[in-house]
Amino acid sequence: MEGSVRGSIVARIGRSLTAAIVLGASLVAGVAIAIVAGPAQIANAVVTGGMWALMSVGLALVFGVMNIPHFAHGESFMIGAYVSYFVFTPVHEYLKDNPNKFLSTVAPFAGILAAALVGFVLGAVIEKLIFYPLRRRTRAQWVMNAFLLTVGISFIFTNGATLVLGPNFRGIPRYWDVEPLQFLGMRIAVDRVVTFAIAVITLAAFWFFLRRTRTGRAIRAVSQDEVGAQMVGINLNFVHTLTFSLATSMAAMSGACLLFMFQAYPTVGLKPLYFSWYVVMLVGLGNVAGAMVGGFIVALLQMATQQFVGIAWEDVVPTIMMILVLLLAPSGIFGSEVKGVQEQ
Amino acid sequence: MKDTANTERNRLSKAWNGVVVGLERIGFSPLGFGLLLIIAILPLIPPFNQEHILRWLIMGAFFAAQAAAFDFTAGYINVVNFGFAAILGLGAYTSAILANKAPFLIVQPGISPWISIWIGALVAGLLGLLLGMLTLRLRGIFAAVMAWFVGIALMGLVRNLPDLTRGALGLHPPSLLETSSNLPYFYIILAMMVVTYIVLRMVTKSHLGLAFKAIGQNIDAARASGINPTKYRVLNFTLSCLFAGWLGGFNAHYLCSLTPQTLMHTSKTVEVLAIAYIGGRGSMWGGMVVAFPFVFFIEYLRSNLQELPGLHLVIYGVLMILVMIFYPDGVAGLYRWIVARVKSRFR
Amino acid sequence: MLEVRGLNAGYDFLQVLWDVSLHVSEGEFVALLGPNGAGKTTTLRTIAGLIPPMSGEVFFRGEAIGHLPAYRISRMGISYISESLNLFTNMSVQENLLLGAYAVQDKRKELESLDFVFGLFPRLAERRHQLAGTLSGGERKMLAIARGMMSNPRLLLVDEPSLGLAPNLVQNVFAALQELRQRGVTILLVEQNVNATLEITDRGYVLEQGRIVLEGQSSDLRENEHVRSAYLGL
Repeated sequence: MEGSVRGSIVARIGRSLTAAIVLGASLVAGVAIAIVAGPAQIANAVVTGGMWALMSVGLALVFGVMNIPHFAHGESFMIGAYVSYFVFTPVHEYLKDNPNKFLSTVAPFAGILAAALVGFVLGAVIEKLIFYPLRRRTRAQWVMNAFLLTVGISFIFTNGATLVLGPNFRGIPRYWDVEPLQFLGMRIAVDRVVTFAIAVITLAAFWFFLRRTRTGRAIRAVSQDEVGAQMVGINLNFVHTLTFSLATSMAAMSGACLLFMFQAYPTVGLKPLYFSWYVVMLVGLGNVAGAMVGGFIVALLQMATQQFVGIAWEDVVPTIMMILVLLLAPSGIFGSEVKGVQEQ
Repeated sequence: MKDTANTERNRLSKAWNGVVVGLERIGFSPLGFGLLLIIAILPLIPPFNQEHILRWLIMGAFFAAQAAAFDFTAGYINVVNFGFAAILGLGAYTSAILANKAPFLIVQPGISPWISIWIGALVAGLLGLLLGMLTLRLRGIFAAVMAWFVGIALMGLVRNLPDLTRGALGLHPPSLLETSSNLPYFYIILAMMVVTYIVLRMVTKSHLGLAFKAIGQNIDAARASGINPTKYRVLNFTLSCLFAGWLGGFNAHYLCSLTPQTLMHTSKTVEVLAIAYIGGRGSMWGGMVVAFPFVFFIEYLRSNLQELPGLHLVIYGVLMILVMIFYPDGVAGLYRWIVARVKSRFR
Repeated sequence: MLEVRGLNAGYDFLQVLWDVSLHVSEGEFVALLGPNGAGKTTTLRTIAGLIPPMSGEVFFRGEAIGHLPAYRISRMGISYISESLNLFTNMSVQENLLLGAYAVQDKRKELESLDFVFGLFPRLAERRHQLAGTLSGGERKMLAIARGMMSNPRLLLVDEPSLGLAPNLVQNVFAALQELRQRGVTILLVEQNVNATLEITDRGYVLEQGRIVLEGQSSDLRENEHVRSAYLGL
């Protein structure tokens, strides 16, 4: 008994220490970027942070509710990017000859919304086709099996996209053809402002959904105690499908939002995948609230690495950060709500 | 007359039993050994002695060895080494740099490839040890993801230290042999494959292997039986990485052309993973058997269906998912089932 | 109301229940007794749908429920209060209770249930915004029962509520069950505390090694030789 109490104190110190280091580093990074590179770069970091938050929330959710380490999450991003491209570009072409103020304002939203919808449906299909059968067959070694399945899915989607759509980059220079906004002495592209707003609104809406609605509460219940959830009449299959759909939808939405920045190509999902995993491991597996904050932290650190160390080291610094986290606070700096970190 | 015939038969069957037992000791069934012999002789028989077929066979053996080393960890202690390709690449690049004589890099140690390969293996093993010690006291998923991160970082490092590695341009290390023929290389990789398999298989048959399996199945029960899970997991992981680095060294001095993205990318790990799982996790030989058709499939598609890039990978992805959901024992399990059926029919 | 016929059930390759038959009529308060490992929890879990039966039938108000998933059985009006409680530890008392009424569509009914339950367990009302994981042992049992009552169930399956509780708390729990019974809830109670259980229940079954060995009126069971020697220490 004594030992375990001491152990948890050590764990908590480790966690606080690491949290302090990471948060401190982000603050320093943010200030440094602002001073050296200018506030426009902070804006960049914040916009990217919003997208990483969207991606990471989905990842955290899928892990927390379904106990699946989702390795194909980047492909949801990729699909969103492609959908938005194929919805937006024809409209854009049409608008070149027939300019229409209303349509050109609305078209990007159509692309983003389409991506979110396709993502939602696709998530449901994948869940029903792949994870539901596995759930029925066996629960043994679930985490590893599910992880491997998502690896297979990722493989199929990236190579399938290359096959069907070709490896070329499909991009757009911008969504809205207007002058950048002037804000606090900075010039920020409208695209960035609007997509950031979309991210924030989506995150807020999702938070409200999770905390205040019956279904949202049911999702949280399943992540905390599956048997308990069944006992109060919650249909687990429904919750699983809904969770996966929501996660996929949010990732697709961020892919669509960032089309002007990342473009669409088969392996575009790799970076969002890495970064959402950094976030989730940093804040603690399954921690949805932490993922929202973590997205911005990682974006700031990423931007700082780009600025001060060089873009080539973008992958090395987060890995070093992860080593630190694993040494001092394996359940993440905000704590993991997921069943058991030590040994499985 | 009958008696001498019988004793002859007895002596023969005793000898045969002796052979079977001996083979089993090193991990081969008679059928498996037969297959190995066939593969070993194949390149001497036309039309299999063409250079491009030899290349395929070499690649097949290369993937087979990787699958065995990968399955040693994934199939026994149930940990997916998701940075496997990068660790192999680390061995390759270490060996390549140490053997380098060209002025493109800032160092030119010029060590013989035959020696540098072993150093590459050691370095890879060392990384495996460190990584294992860091992550294997936690859930398997942490080790898998951390190996993945480290793999990404390694690939990034190689790409971004061009003075040391020539980065994305590619490194051209000296070859093992002077000949331009593939044949000797084939026998080298075949030997490496056999050694990898035998060593790892014998470990799994030892008490170490029992510990691995126990940890992989039920870690709490294993701990209760007095096994220290972390120690054995780290041992297993390190061994696997050692062999990965060793094989990487071969790759470096056979292909003589290394680039970080073609060698160390996560998708390369996934290819080995797919082979190992379709072959049957925990069997070790299943992946080896699957590796050869896999390579032939890739090469065939590459030369005949160039307009469909990645098709083979899609097919392998689908196969892997189907196997995982519906037939997790893979090809090895199928073989066992067939053998059991045949045996019962002849009872 | 509840009828179990020839139930065989267990886990994977281990059969625990052998040809178990019992019934609970509407309004009854029935006990399921027996030693550790007899299969009492397995019985309840099978009825609740958490374990698929190997063979045999379970009927609830005339309908066969043996192969229904647990959530459907819960929505039909059977609430299972498990031994391990299965509370949502990171949620507040109130949120746990609201989840208890998950299947209840009517907002008003939900609020009524909440009032009812808070009336029954005033201690929970005091702590309505406290996290369930921080409650004391007795309070958590109360919360588990309260959550089970939120859906206005017809049948309550209660698994060893007295386990790990101090005697005065056990009294509270049993009093709560009796109060529920007064209000017309049918209860099947699994317990190891034989004495107290036989005092408050109408009938009882004794399960040993997965088989029903005794059944009868609680008053009769209290006088039974086997029960007295094996379970009452007399």
